[in-house]
Amino acid sequence: MQGFSYIGSQLVDLCSALLLLTCFAIVAQRRLSACVDLFALQSSFLVVTAALVAYLTGNPHIYIAAGLTGAIKVIIIPRVLKKVIDHLNVKRELVMHVNVPTGLLICGGLVMLAFFIAQPIIPLGNLLTRDSLAIALAIVLIGLFTMIARQKAVSQLVGFLVLENGLFLGATAATYGMPLVVELGVFFDVLIATLIAGIYTNRLQDAFDSVDTDRLTVLKE
Amino acid sequence: MLNLLWLLLGGYGVGILLPLCLSGRPGLQQLTSNVAAIVGTSTGVILGLLGLTSSEPVTGSLASTIPLLTFAVRLDPLAAFFVLTISLVGLAASIYAIGYLQHFEGRTSTAAIGSLFNAFLLCMTFVVLADNAFFFLLAWELMSLLSYFLVVTEHEKAEVRYAGLFYLIMTHIGTAFIVVAFLIFFQGTWSFSFEAFRHPAQPLPEGMKTLVFLMALLGFGTKAGIIPLHVWLPYAHTVAPSHVSALMSGVMIKTAIYGLIRVYFDFFGGQFPWWWGFTVLLLGTTSALLGVMYALMEHDLKRLLAFHSVENIGIILMGLGAGMIFQAYGLRELAALGLLAGLYHTINHALFKALLFLGAGSLLYATHTRNMEEYGGLLRRMPWTGIFFLIGAMSISALPPTNGFVSEWLVFQTLFLSFQIPTVFLKLMLPIAAAILALTGVLALTCFAKAFGISFLAQPRSTHARHAEEVPVSMRMGMGILAALCVALGVAPIVVVPLLDQIVAPLAGISIASKVLAIDGWALAPVNVEFSSLSTPVLALLLVASAILGLGLAVVLGGRLTTRRSKSWGCGITLTPRMEYTATGFVQPIKRVFSTIYQPTVKLETEFLAESRYFSKRRHFEFHIEPIFEKYLYDPLVAFFGTLADRLKVIQAGSLHLYLTYMFVTLIALLLLAV
Repeated sequence: MQGFSYIGSQLVDLCSALLLLTCFAIVAQRRLSACVDLFALQSSFLVVTAALVAYLTGNPHIYIAAGLTGAIKVIIIPRVLKKVIDHLNVKRELVMHVNVPTGLLICGGLVMLAFFIAQPIIPLGNLLTRDSLAIALAIVLIGLFTMIARQKAVSQLVGFLVLENGLFLGATAATYGMPLVVELGVFFDVLIATLIAGIYTNRLQDAFDSVDTDRLTVLKE
Repeated sequence: MLNLLWLLLGGYGVGILLPLCLSGRPGLQQLTSNVAAIVGTSTGVILGLLGLTSSEPVTGSLASTIPLLTFAVRLDPLAAFFVLTISLVGLAASIYAIGYLQHFEGRTSTAAIGSLFNAFLLCMTFVVLADNAFFFLLAWELMSLLSYFLVVTEHEKAEVRYAGLFYLIMTHIGTAFIVVAFLIFFQGTWSFSFEAFRHPAQPLPEGMKTLVFLMALLGFGTKAGIIPLHVWLPYAHTVAPSHVSALMSGVMIKTAIYGLIRVYFDFFGGQFPWWWGFTVLLLGTTSALLGVMYALMEHDLKRLLAFHSVENIGIILMGLGAGMIFQAYGLRELAALGLLAGLYHTINHALFKALLFLGAGSLLYATHTRNMEEYGGLLRRMPWTGIFFLIGAMSISALPPTNGFVSEWLVFQTLFLSFQIPTVFLKLMLPIAAAILALTGVLALTCFAKAFGISFLAQPRSTHARHAEEVPVSMRMGMGILAALCVALGVAPIVVVPLLDQIVAPLAGISIASKVLAIDGWALAPVNVEFSSLSTPVLALLLVASAILGLGLAVVLGGRLTTRRSKSWGCGITLTPRMEYTATGFVQPIKRVFSTIYQPTVKLETEFLAESRYFSKRRHFEFHIEPIFEKYLYDPLVAFFGTLADRLKVIQAGSLHLYLTYMFVTLIALLLLAV
């Protein structure tokens, strides 16, 4: 049993690490549609992680959450985003606030920061997923950083979704999942937020002929 | 009794929902909403009376899924008294509204008014019934919001929107203070139930108690309209539909009095230092005096009444404050007397102020203006409204045999009895407060001599007034109920005092009904019958008898009683309404005497004929009084926040990335701090 739990824990850590890796890929990727694909990939890793945790802990409601993640984040949201991108005249992000190498370096720093912060917490718990907590925190920070570094609304949206993935991983890792009601609410929120942001991006395109959120400053009085 | 509560809930519930379902039939909408309100308020009256007479408080509660919130109600005598007050005034207002709302038909949605009106009454009832701080705040906030929506009924006018916004801001500031007060209690008990507030595991430290006192005073004071937090009253009460003004001015501001008594006497069990009472007394005295003085200068009838609410809240607080001082010195009988006087004035003010607002509404209904200078001669055209308004005016001016007289007399007696306090300072201050109260009474009388005289007597001053007609039966009925109650409560303290004693006895820890009702209940005495006593029934009889006697003497000695109608002699000139005493002219002497307080600006421009300076072509007279509190307190505050907001605009660059960076940096900083 001990060994089984050890292997399980290692598997969860592996999946979490794959999630983190896709984060770096998203930061490095300039093509918008590729970003969306990478997000879908990341989400499918998340599904696997959640399913693993559900199997190892025997909490059936995490299966439901995993299934919903699959349906919403792997299938529906990427489709919506692809449609939005089809509507746009830009397919690539040319100018960024932080260029790709610097961005990757900063992300590396953020991962170290996350592990540094989570260090005192990790030994406290005896969960099999405890290392994932630091990774989840790193994903949240990288997601937020992506939102800052990118100019196009679509990639900011992807940043937001990455952040949300980090939160979900954190919740699964730290507490074996939030109550199902809360999770359902969060999924609904994410779905709606994506839909609204998608519509908003289209409107942005129509109004400014660009999806640079920098342009929004002209709305100031 | 809980069944009655369900009935009340059902009545109001039907009143809230049904009008919204009957779209396109305004007549039916307003009828259903008002009939439902009548059912609800009548149930409330019964509930209040039962609660006042029952020996044990009735409680009930419904759990909720929100942590710390339970829908707990508790009907103790104090709550029952306020339920009774709310329901009595609500009953009269809903009967009145059947006729009054006709003049809104077509201009605005009657379904919305009816529905909001019911919801407003319901929330007020639950404010006083709530036995859980969370529930209380919920009801309180809903009450404030619903009344805001009722205030902005005629939102197409800029003046109304401004009044509404002002009210909304003020009431939210007030609520914030109340929340702080309750949170301090919560810190000590980790529960929001009022029962836990009453009996905390450890008593609050002195400093915290003082903070609660101040927060409650500021929070409830904003709603009550004590000076200098009164500024919203004249705006909001003026522009709301009149039956809503009657409710807001008559009962909504009383929920604040309820809150104060609940916190000071119930939660703290009457354990507080004397200066709490003194602060309340001081604020009460200031409000009473300044309230009536500003009222005098108003020619908008509803604004005038709104300022009188400030005055009367002041009088109530004077009774309450004196009671608190006595309580602090352990003079329990006198404390009970002060509390009783305050509560008596609470219901009295609710009745006569609602009556006067309904009267003002009738004048508005008949003449389409609130400006007194355009009334005149209305007594002959609207005799019923005139009589009812006169009764209300007598009550508010504290003239026997009406109710205002009895309660103000009790407040006076409470203040005079201050010689029993061991401190010289207070021995001096309380009689001064009594003297100011006397001045207030006189000024109120002047004010209503003006209001009644200018509005109802002499000749009509405008075409509107000339074509005025008496209001519909339902409006007269609404006013009639209140007028009858005003007289009844004035003549029969023998019924009222024992009921009030039910409330006071648990709070002050002593029952004084038998002492206040001296000589088998035929006379009122402030605890001590040797000190002074007053028999209102005898006084009323004397008044009636002297009137009959005067009439009789006139018949016997004065010869034939014939009426001769002819025009007044005007030195050969035909008298026109322009020659009448105006409201502005009437208060001119007072304006002069108190010019330090009013700081009036008078502008008189005369345009002369080109040929000679002896003949003026046109004169333009303008007169303003300085709104001191708005100018020196509120305007600087608003300006301060304005500049602060301007400064903050620097970091609001409008860039999404910058905002995200703010969040990111804050997050990292907080995480690092946590490690």
